[in-house]
Amino acid sequence: MKERSVTLRVNGELHVFNHVPVRKTLVQLLRDDAGLTGTKEGCGEGDCGACTVLLDGEPVNSCLVLASEADGKEVLTVEGLSREWELHPLQQTFVEEGAVQCGYCIPGMLLAAKALLDENPSPTEAEIRGAIAGNLCRCTGYVRIVLAIQRAVASMSRPR
Amino acid sequence: MEALVGEGVTRVDALEKVSGAAVFGPDVKLVGMLYGKTLRSPHAHARIVSINLEEARKLPGVRAIVTGADLSGVLGGEAVKDMPFLAQGKVRYMGEPVAAVAAEDEATALKAIDLIDVVYDELPVAADALAALEKGAPLIHEGLENYARIGVIKPVPKSNVITVNEYSKGDVEQGFRESDEIFEDEFSSQTVHHAPLEPHSAVAQVDVNGRIVVWAPNDSPHRLRKDLADALHMRLDRVRVISTYVGGGFGGKGGLKAEPIAVALAMKTNHRPVKVVFTREEVFQATLVRHATVVRIKTGVKHDGTLMARDVKIIWDTGAYAEKGPTVCSQATAAAAGPYRVAHVHLVGHCVYTNKAVAGAYRGYGTPQLAWACESQMDTIAKKLGLDPLELRLRNVLREGDVNPVGHPVHSVGVEDCLKQVAQAIGWQERRRQPRVTEKGRYVGFGVACGTKNTKTPSGSEAALYLSQDGSLTIVTASVEVGQGVRTILAQIACGVLGLPMENVSFSQPDTDSTPFDASTTSSRTTFHMGNAVKIAAEDLKQQLAQLAAALFGCDVNQVVVDGGKAWLAKEPERSLTYPELLQKQYGAGASMMGRGFYYPKSEQGKAFHGSPSLFWMYGAHAVQVEVDPKTGRVEVTRLAAAADTGRPINPINCLQQIEGGALHAIGTTLMEELIVDNQGHMVNPNFHDYRIPTAMDAPEILASFAEAPHREGPFGAKGMAEIVTTSVLPAIGNAIEDAVGVRIRDLPIRSDKVWRALKESGAATKRK
Repeated sequence: MKERSVTLRVNGELHVFNHVPVRKTLVQLLRDDAGLTGTKEGCGEGDCGACTVLLDGEPVNSCLVLASEADGKEVLTVEGLSREWELHPLQQTFVEEGAVQCGYCIPGMLLAAKALLDENPSPTEAEIRGAIAGNLCRCTGYVRIVLAIQRAVASMSRPR
Repeated sequence: MEALVGEGVTRVDALEKVSGAAVFGPDVKLVGMLYGKTLRSPHAHARIVSINLEEARKLPGVRAIVTGADLSGVLGGEAVKDMPFLAQGKVRYMGEPVAAVAAEDEATALKAIDLIDVVYDELPVAADALAALEKGAPLIHEGLENYARIGVIKPVPKSNVITVNEYSKGDVEQGFRESDEIFEDEFSSQTVHHAPLEPHSAVAQVDVNGRIVVWAPNDSPHRLRKDLADALHMRLDRVRVISTYVGGGFGGKGGLKAEPIAVALAMKTNHRPVKVVFTREEVFQATLVRHATVVRIKTGVKHDGTLMARDVKIIWDTGAYAEKGPTVCSQATAAAAGPYRVAHVHLVGHCVYTNKAVAGAYRGYGTPQLAWACESQMDTIAKKLGLDPLELRLRNVLREGDVNPVGHPVHSVGVEDCLKQVAQAIGWQERRRQPRVTEKGRYVGFGVACGTKNTKTPSGSEAALYLSQDGSLTIVTASVEVGQGVRTILAQIACGVLGLPMENVSFSQPDTDSTPFDASTTSSRTTFHMGNAVKIAAEDLKQQLAQLAAALFGCDVNQVVVDGGKAWLAKEPERSLTYPELLQKQYGAGASMMGRGFYYPKSEQGKAFHGSPSLFWMYGAHAVQVEVDPKTGRVEVTRLAAAADTGRPINPINCLQQIEGGALHAIGTTLMEELIVDNQGHMVNPNFHDYRIPTAMDAPEILASFAEAPHREGPFGAKGMAEIVTTSVLPAIGNAIEDAVGVRIRDLPIRSDKVWRALKESGAATKRK
């Protein structure tokens, strides 16, 4: 199998991966080689959104991106959302609003929500639902996930 | 005292989960780990003529190959021992494991299974339960009566029926004679999948002493240990199971799934661990599904709506292996008459093998399919009698002390409250004042339904609590965090009794080597059973602390008060000692204190598994508002009110999470989801683009509430509730559709083409005023 080297900036840190099989997906590289198992793989077919990460700021299903395609790019995973011990406002409100049950969809959900808020700091409920429509959750009925995103919007718009 | 009980405290597992640190099954990684892949049957029923492994063996990087021939005489199954780890002699469903490979990496393992050549001789297929019941149907398990099984399973020799379970009360024929009206209906339900976001997985290792260790997202480590040990004819202590966090279960993460394949491979890898992670296709085809059912229901009523007699016959399509299918049949059939007072009852369930994916436990354990029939028919009855559907239910629902349809007096009955809550929330009394047609030309309808579910009885749970010398507490149980919030609930109970803050608590990982026995994290039993065990353990600690304090104070133990993290002499509250101070004074060189709690319910009818009347019953109700587009038949649930009887809730927010999530899950079941199998038993849509589950765009406004009917034996009056949250959604939607456009759909799911066709045939929507 063909191999190549892949350079990524993951959560702000530079990583060089050698001998990456060209068929390896980004989610596999992150989980198996970078040790970042916070990113989950739910279907491997781009249907469930559990593997959502931000690639140069854009949300992608990392199971549909080849590791080699991401070469030279910047990746944000759930592990990079919090700085030191301080949670991102979305993480904080997901905890406080009870948005988390089994938790398997949550890393992808958080990154889809972050991508939305980066683009649109004051989304409507319909826009929030639209932004996470590619992220399946089987536990919550999305009720508290939507509430948590709305609360994060409110807390982030407050002057610091 | 007990301040934390009843509070909506923040979940203790949330931080780990939002930070990506929580370890789920597929996240387990060990040194020297190999990767396993499975070759699966393309046929639903076939004899295996030959398996050629030669080419696969030659592939560099392949370390072990295993087939059924390596595991002769190994059969697993909780209720019936009928399932080989890998097919032996024949395959009974499409996707059944036939061979597995462990290799240095996943790509090599995948390549190797492609090189295995299997010759099959196809057999006739029984593709649904009715076909499997016909005379001359292909026998899926010859000699099924010879399988080892638990007592409640009653197989029918020379058939595909693995059990028949029957319940009678009174005399139904007399009840029908005394009725003014008799209703006979048939309803059916489809095969659906739990569809947890986390796929099934397992890592297994066999150590140099031949001891098996398994890491898996399994909801019941002690049960898995027993399943594996029994199948492999090993002692229980020779198998160790460690459960990770479970990324969604809903009943589908118990028993033998990825675990037996990983174990079978690990037995041949010279002590190297083997990891098996199922693809989404494997999850759909070869883990577990919900039973498709056919329910025939006959009900006799008086003119005033009094239910006189009910006769229900259920056919459960249990798929190719028994798994928990027969216990679903025996347990759910007992709940088939609904949460009502009915004098004369006859209930019978037939659990039938078919050449399909294995059916078993699925949130509600058969009761949603039964409520679909029972509660749809209740609306037909109400219509005929000219009664309001809510009123008909309220006239008949069980209340405290009533005798239920299987002859047991009931306690802790919140169904009336649940019905009233959902009716209030949806605006039931005012519904006729709403416009019946929207501006877009859609018809508006309202529906209500209620449901009930039992819990497996009897079953046991044991807990240990370690109080460390600094006053911190470790909760040591085998209860698995599957997303239901069990850690939070158990911490609230322990801290409530001991008067400790929640920040002082840590949790053991469920591990059969160190966490005491627990029957399972299933059947909505954990708050009740393990909650009681933890409460008893905390009280045990308190008693030991009181004795320690009495020794230090030089007084009788009865004169000591222990609360709020401190102990003191009743008459001298100002001279208190904290728990760390007590331990320090007595054991200066260091010590911890262990509290023990064991809960096993008192049983009226024997101590056998599934041998007793339900310890408690769950109750719930749903009311929905729908809009039906007559041009397309498309149904949209626009509002949904959901209520469950929680007993006294330990954590009301956790309860609401269950109620909300279950509601949308069940909307998927009712309107969207169906695993389609063709007449040769081939599953057509084992993926998330063809098997669609609800997204955030499919969710209506959900109005969740709970009713409190405290249970005298539950911890602080609490009882289980997580499975009742889907049960009555299905018929509530069906009832609302009939209310909107006058057609009654009898087979799930309610796809728009079925509604459209029914409208065409009846012309009902256009005639409706």
